[in-house]
Amino acid sequence: MSFEKNLLQMKKLIKKKPAKETSLASFVMPNPPAYLETWKNAGLEVIENQFGLVFMKKTVYSPQFFHGSFKLSDVFHAFELWNQLEEEHPISTNGQNVVFFDTETTGLKGTGTYIFLSGQLVFKNSQFELTQHLMADPSHETAFLYETGLWKPNQTVITYNGKSFDWPQLETRWTLNRTYLPKLSVPHHIDLLHGSRRVWKGDLTQFKLTSIEVEKLGFKRIGDIPGYLAPIIYLDAVKNGDPHALLKVLHHNEWDILSLLTLFIHSSKLLLEESYTETALTSTNIGKWFADLKMYEKSQDQFDQITSTYEKEEASMAFYYIGFNYKRFNRKEDAYQSFKNALLHLPLRFKINAYEELAKIDEHLFKRFDQAIIYTHEALKLIEAIPELTDTKKIKLKNAFEKRLNRLLKKVK
Amino acid sequence: MRTNLSIAELLKEWKSDAVMKERIVHWHTVPEKPASLADFPADLHESIVSALKKRGITKLYSHQRDAYELARANQSFTAITPTASGKSYCYHLPVLQSIIENPASRALYLFPTKALAQDQKSDLHELIEQMDQSILSYTFDGDTAPAIRTKVRKAGHIVLTNPDMLHSGILPHHTKWVSLFENLKYIVIDELHTYKGVFGSHVAHVIRRLKRICAYYGSNPIFICTSATISNPKELAESLTNETHQLISKNGAPAGIKNFIFYNPPIVHPTFGIRRSAILEVRDLAKRLYKENIQTIVFAKSRVRVEMLVTYLKELSKKKIQDESIRGYRGGYLPSERREIEKGLRNGTIQTVVSTNALELGVDIGQLQACIMTGYPGNIASAWQQAGRAGRRQDEALIIYVAQSTALDQYIVNNPGYLLGQSPEEARIHPENLIILMDHLKCASFELPFSMTDQYGEFEIQELLAYLEDEGILVRTSDKWHWMSDRFPAHEISLRSASQENVVIIDQTVPAATKVLGEMDRYSSMTLLHEEAIYLHQGIQFQVEKLDWEEKKAFVREVDVDYFTDANLAVELKVMSEDKVIEFEQASIYYGDVSILAMATIFKKIRFDSHDNIGSGPIQLPPEELHTSSSWISFNRPKTWTDSMLSDAMTGTATSIGLFVPLFVQCDRRDIHVVAQVKSTHSELPTFYVYDSYPGGIGISERVYEVWPTLLEHVYQHVNNCPCDQGCPACIGAQEASIGMKDDVLNLLAYLQLQ
Repeated sequence: MSFEKNLLQMKKLIKKKPAKETSLASFVMPNPPAYLETWKNAGLEVIENQFGLVFMKKTVYSPQFFHGSFKLSDVFHAFELWNQLEEEHPISTNGQNVVFFDTETTGLKGTGTYIFLSGQLVFKNSQFELTQHLMADPSHETAFLYETGLWKPNQTVITYNGKSFDWPQLETRWTLNRTYLPKLSVPHHIDLLHGSRRVWKGDLTQFKLTSIEVEKLGFKRIGDIPGYLAPIIYLDAVKNGDPHALLKVLHHNEWDILSLLTLFIHSSKLLLEESYTETALTSTNIGKWFADLKMYEKSQDQFDQITSTYEKEEASMAFYYIGFNYKRFNRKEDAYQSFKNALLHLPLRFKINAYEELAKIDEHLFKRFDQAIIYTHEALKLIEAIPELTDTKKIKLKNAFEKRLNRLLKKVK
Repeated sequence: MRTNLSIAELLKEWKSDAVMKERIVHWHTVPEKPASLADFPADLHESIVSALKKRGITKLYSHQRDAYELARANQSFTAITPTASGKSYCYHLPVLQSIIENPASRALYLFPTKALAQDQKSDLHELIEQMDQSILSYTFDGDTAPAIRTKVRKAGHIVLTNPDMLHSGILPHHTKWVSLFENLKYIVIDELHTYKGVFGSHVAHVIRRLKRICAYYGSNPIFICTSATISNPKELAESLTNETHQLISKNGAPAGIKNFIFYNPPIVHPTFGIRRSAILEVRDLAKRLYKENIQTIVFAKSRVRVEMLVTYLKELSKKKIQDESIRGYRGGYLPSERREIEKGLRNGTIQTVVSTNALELGVDIGQLQACIMTGYPGNIASAWQQAGRAGRRQDEALIIYVAQSTALDQYIVNNPGYLLGQSPEEARIHPENLIILMDHLKCASFELPFSMTDQYGEFEIQELLAYLEDEGILVRTSDKWHWMSDRFPAHEISLRSASQENVVIIDQTVPAATKVLGEMDRYSSMTLLHEEAIYLHQGIQFQVEKLDWEEKKAFVREVDVDYFTDANLAVELKVMSEDKVIEFEQASIYYGDVSILAMATIFKKIRFDSHDNIGSGPIQLPPEELHTSSSWISFNRPKTWTDSMLSDAMTGTATSIGLFVPLFVQCDRRDIHVVAQVKSTHSELPTFYVYDSYPGGIGISERVYEVWPTLLEHVYQHVNNCPCDQGCPACIGAQEASIGMKDDVLNLLAYLQLQ
């Protein structure tokens, strides 16, 4: 090889280098925090990577471990249920690379809010493994974020309120450290808060994870710190170096994540396992959710089960929704019967819709105008009795029913 | 049938009318000015050229062309743009051109209010539509729907917002705006002159924070500012943006002949110097113009007065059916109503518009033939903006200034040179105010950690950061100061308030529908919002029923009474440091820091017309402490004066100084206080103190320090020229009985003329 050629080859090498060098060179390795040893002695492991230090705590659980009423290994059954489902559902997983994920932060929003704790629960080497990464101090943030591995592609993340809180906050932190970190990929994200709201609408008044634990998951925390104290505890630990209270935050996070897993099991079974039910209300909610997702067959299964299991009184909402399902498939006579079944115990604001549907079918299909007039009258009587309606809504409804009434009256003549 | 008079004919008639001759104190005519035009810049994109042509524009005014060249040469600049000079093209053209050339390029427009941003957006949309280009512009404020926020952040080429939103909604969330901050080419600051005083000082810091975020993302934006006529636009822009600016002061827009008339209502009560109500005079003048078919805009100071005038004037048209020729226009109108009024003015169905100052701020309703101002709007810039509404293209315009009986109004009408001559008015800000600086240093720390070597704007801040660390808000690591608190500092800091803790004024006239009327700083509220005080809000009287000092709430109820209240404030003033001094023969003037302990003691009820004292009561409020900056004048005691003579004369003089400071330093009446001490604790000499009402000072007394000689000269002339016998609210304050007081004040002022 000639000297010139050699030189040219070298040149290529040089060209590549500056780009790499600038990004690496400008990173200044932060000093370890003064309290390194104290925190180590408190039981936290120290990991060092190219960006600094991260504290870590690993906890393993056998598959037979019970958290509240649920055995951790039941999650495989839940995955199995989702695998059998053909359609996509907001909380369906493929059971691959599933991470149960929760964070603790120093505030509620904005670029001055740090994530200081990330907990991830996975199944690995035939046991469940919880890895908690703890930011050593804010100058070690890059090291902390990198170490969480959340940037790795093809993950399914299961969270509680993560879609509007944890993940956007993670994106903010990522943007601030984007010069050094690999790109944050967009995971498949299941937010169980959304699902809980659908399933327990009208049943639970509070959707805090701790109240769901008590109400639905058979778990009650003893000695837990309230979540809103977590920021102050971390800030205090960084300022004073004392990790004592911080360990309680780690425990709080551990409970959150274990409950996340059992909540996933419970909701999956409620949704997909026919014999696994709570109350008529939850089942109706689930059926309605399926219907809204256009999964009508699943929806119908739910409703049918309710009408065959529960008294008419409890099943009235199910009858009501079945009516709409039938209407959708143009089975008007079946729909008519369902609405009629629903009528007796239906809450008033739904009842008015049921009367409307009945009147429509009587008018257009059966041509029983007299009957349609009766239903329309009933509906008109109801309007004033419904307190949740706004005045404008009342006027609108009134006009609509009066229009129907006039038309019907003409037809009778 | 008589024919309508033209403006010129009407003026001719007035010149020979004895009554009018007496009331018109001064005539002034500004000659016609031709347009100074320039060709479109050679590189201006054809789509912009064609959009301009669709709007009937074939040439630019010279200042628009200058603006384009400077912006394209990456030079920040400030353009003085009077009403109707096509100011928005000064920024639209370079901004749109840069986006066409590079679709990644971004611009941020700042308007002082949400309404102005929304108004400008519709105009900008129309222009972009005429260009037929896909350029996205959005307003971003509290009204922006959550669903489109992401789109605005990621794809908006031009984002129109206000400083408050930038402060609490954009900067603390800058990671969501990466594409804006990485590519920010231009920052437009419209209505620059509104950024003065406390608000301006806050905004100066918001801009420093904005620049810091831009630098972090690698952009170095150019500032384009437009301003009404003030004396120091370049200085204001430079201190607001911390950046060197070029000034475009030559305006190329044409103007027709402008006739200024200074009109003073006749005196109806010589002893108290009370004149006939300006509003009645305005009504009569407006009626006359209406009858002559001259399109007129009338400015009144409050909504109530607008309604009053509209009612008066509508009598003129009440015999016509569905007549829309007289319209009111005040804040809070919907864009659609505004368009309707604009349209009516263009096609002539609207003859007279009565407006509050809402219109003064950039809202474009086109030009009219005549303008009547009810009283002085408070500063020259606003007066010129109002006057600028009259003068359609090259037509002759008529501007009538009708003076009210207040001190400022009377000064203006008797000294037309003040308004017409070279503007002495300045808009000042004071970013150095430590309290404001610390507030924004917190926000800046929240947004991005400072390093151990960082500066913030022009400020050295390492010691201040160490202080915040002691406060437990920041944590220092090996190389940076990190925000370590669960608080969100931007929410705790309001750009508009004059002090951190304001008293909220709550109207409980209708118990089921209480509403917030406004807020007032704590210091002023001691004398204005004490229990039983009569509080005036936009011309409506309210009585304070309860002042909850702990919770900072004043509960008021609408009343109709014939008196106002006046509270005494016992002030203990101590000089903390003397920073500057100039010595004169018989007096010395100082600038420095003072500490004030103020306590409201009693209030008096004073009848409107007679100024009789008709009652009084105690005020029970804890004393308030204030550290601020002050300028004071100490003088040798004039020989032969007794203590009580001096004391009375100084009280009257302090009143007149207080009335005049806002004239010389553009500020609000409430921004300063004047205190007289016959024997000061500091030097044992008689002393007048002028101090800033805001903790830490806002730069007003520093300016007063520079203008004492002129200030005192003008105060003397004004008191001397005031037609009242014994002193009146327009000069030395209402006097009860002390005969001869006005002469004493004049003697003292004469003695104090500094050479």
